[in-house]
Amino acid sequence: MKTKSKIMCLVMSIWGGITQVWADGNPVDKVYHPLVIANERKFEWRFTSRQTDDKNVLAQRFAYGQAVSEYLIIEAYISGQRDESDDYGLQGIELEARYMLTDQGQYWADWGLLFEFEKQHDDNNFEFTTGVLFEKEFVRTSLTLNALLIYEWGENVPNEFETEFRLQYRYRFMPEVQPAIEIYTGEDFVGIGPAFMGVHRYSGIKQLKWELAAIAGFNGNSKDRTLRFAIEYEF
Amino acid sequence: MFKLSRYFLLLLMVFSSSLLAVTEYELVLKDHLFFPSRITIPAGKKVKLIIHNQDDTPEEFDSFSLNRQKVIFAKRKTYIFIGPLQPGEYDFVGEYNPNSARGTVVVVKEAGGGDVN
Repeated sequence: MKTKSKIMCLVMSIWGGITQVWADGNPVDKVYHPLVIANERKFEWRFTSRQTDDKNVLAQRFAYGQAVSEYLIIEAYISGQRDESDDYGLQGIELEARYMLTDQGQYWADWGLLFEFEKQHDDNNFEFTTGVLFEKEFVRTSLTLNALLIYEWGENVPNEFETEFRLQYRYRFMPEVQPAIEIYTGEDFVGIGPAFMGVHRYSGIKQLKWELAAIAGFNGNSKDRTLRFAIEYEF
Repeated sequence: MFKLSRYFLLLLMVFSSSLLAVTEYELVLKDHLFFPSRITIPAGKKVKLIIHNQDDTPEEFDSFSLNRQKVIFAKRKTYIFIGPLQPGEYDFVGEYNPNSARGTVVVVKEAGGGDVN
């Protein structure tokens, strides 16, 4: 086979892998920002409720995060999920690293990287995510994009790639209230909806951040709505 | 060769702001006070604030209106890029000492602006 053909085959295989995605995760989650603050420590709670025609899945994640340098923050999660049969339990553990590639405003846009490693609690199933984080200011608004590539493997899941894309366009109205629009795409999923977020500052560097979004999935005639809420205490 | 040139141009567009000359403004943080506390910069231009923290404790530069947040370690300096901005006043504070460490960036629409008061 000629070199050009081999390259084409490789590209097609990679593209096939990327586009061959699975549907067991909810693509609606936090839209990550590239910014990392040195000395940052935080506790975080995330909640999502996804309602489809035949089921409601509740998921919660608790996390502790700490910046280990001016550019790198590490966060550890435990996650729980209530499935369609009303069983609620520990779903998995996760370790996440977010790296700020560029300082705020240094270049035309701000860039960052995301790495996540997740293990399911009961089974030897794993997931590794890499992603590019992008943020661009337009006067009093900010556009944030996350492009994620996920690889899953393990005992009960096929070895597969998944891609996800998240977008948030935020109006920095006032610290406490900042309206936004969020868009999510994943396997057979395109969702869009309004979001609100804000920050309340206490003394010193202590602050409480919150996010709330209601995302409607456009998947034909079937119902697919996700409510997501996150609260973060930084100290 | 043509494709390489296109990629180079793309990279140039993405990172161009660092290649262009950016005016620098120096600030000093001493006894939890910013000196000067008012800085005048030209509208529509990116500038670089260089902040020298002469205190023995860290400070966190924070401004919602400038959309900037950065820690300035004790006895060290850091830089913060701001702009391009529209004319107006943009407040900033030191989060560890918000009652004393306060300042304002004044953005003016004038040719060759950039006075530091």
